[in-house]
Amino acid sequence: MTRTRQTDTPEDDDFLAAEYVLGVLDLADRSAAEDRLKRDPNFAALVNVWQNRLSGLNDDYAEAPAPNLLPQIEARLFPQPAPAQRRWFGALVGLAFSTIAALGLIAFFALQSPDPSMFASLTAESSGLRFEASIAGNELTLIRSGGAIAAPGKDYELWIIEPDKAPVSLGVLTAERVTIAAPVAKPGYVLAITLEPQGGAPEGKPTGPVVAAGPLQNI
Amino acid sequence: MQGLLYLRAMTDDPIADLLQKIAAQDRAAFRAIYADTSAKLMGVLLRILGNRAEAEDALQEVFTRVWLRANRFDAEKGRGMTWLIALARNHAIDRLRSRHDTSSDDEAMNAVADPAPRAEARLIAHGEARRINECFDTLEADKAAALRGAYLTGTSYLDLAAQFDVPLNTMRTWLRRSLQKLKECMEP
Repeated sequence: MTRTRQTDTPEDDDFLAAEYVLGVLDLADRSAAEDRLKRDPNFAALVNVWQNRLSGLNDDYAEAPAPNLLPQIEARLFPQPAPAQRRWFGALVGLAFSTIAALGLIAFFALQSPDPSMFASLTAESSGLRFEASIAGNELTLIRSGGAIAAPGKDYELWIIEPDKAPVSLGVLTAERVTIAAPVAKPGYVLAITLEPQGGAPEGKPTGPVVAAGPLQNI
Repeated sequence: MQGLLYLRAMTDDPIADLLQKIAAQDRAAFRAIYADTSAKLMGVLLRILGNRAEAEDALQEVFTRVWLRANRFDAEKGRGMTWLIALARNHAIDRLRSRHDTSSDDEAMNAVADPAPRAEARLIAHGEARRINECFDTLEADKAAALRGAYLTGTSYLDLAAQFDVPLNTMRTWLRRSLQKLKECMEP
């Protein structure tokens, strides 16, 4: 039932924008409106105004329990990378890992969580800061085991770095011990903490100095 | 997410802040926005699609698009939640139209059933909602109901006309006049 539309006048365009936002158009007219939306910024602006104008009706949508579909969504968006490469073990040397410290951490996390699968010890000689991270099941736990809180007006921010990729923020640390949903991670990925302006790096990329870092290891 | 704070009021719109972080590929922000908004978006999808299995499928698709399209969000053009709900509504309505487009849709019409009236307190907390509701009150009752039902459930012209037992062109005229009145009423 596609209608022949007279869309020359501003009033008609405005009405079409409202009809599109309302959702009353049939398939053919709706598809045509969507095409136009992509190539006509003026029309897109009209749609945006109607979207805002009618947004008060959104309060009428009641919340409904939603299952946690994140695992499926993330599996679709972030396919697992290839297994970690051995050259990352070279990087370990620089971080001065000792077998004794590693064994100590295993014992430490065995007491903390049921089934830790990976851990990392985040250190830096200059800062005196030390963090212990463990990933168990769906959770990543990070504990500050040495050093002080960030200076006033600053925050520590945790990042995960896949080899040869940009760091991805896991959030700003606000307590000595934090637990978050486990990120996609493999042995050889590096956890790093930077000192950022309060609230975290404004553009999602680290801006401050790395105050502690260490690679994830299988236990 | 205890002990972690993603943002400290960069704007007065925490969802917009999360969207901006997602645009910068921040996966933690993506998880946070799922935690914060999935129940509301599930409510939207369920109301329009009227079927939980399809709504859950749509929810996956919507959040996939949130990740892929967050860079198109512009905080100067509207609130983060408005953008998210528009994304969810558009996807659900596209599904509804593709499902079938020729006959009156019993499933969709059953889903039109009005929910319980909103708590007054919620409206007071949302000046925008109160204003649109006041403007709806200036419309004739059946026209206001047609408009509201269309928005909330994505009902097509064809089904609206059947539901209100008027010819399709009459329904179109109703909506056009009602929308015009609504627009004038809401203009500052």
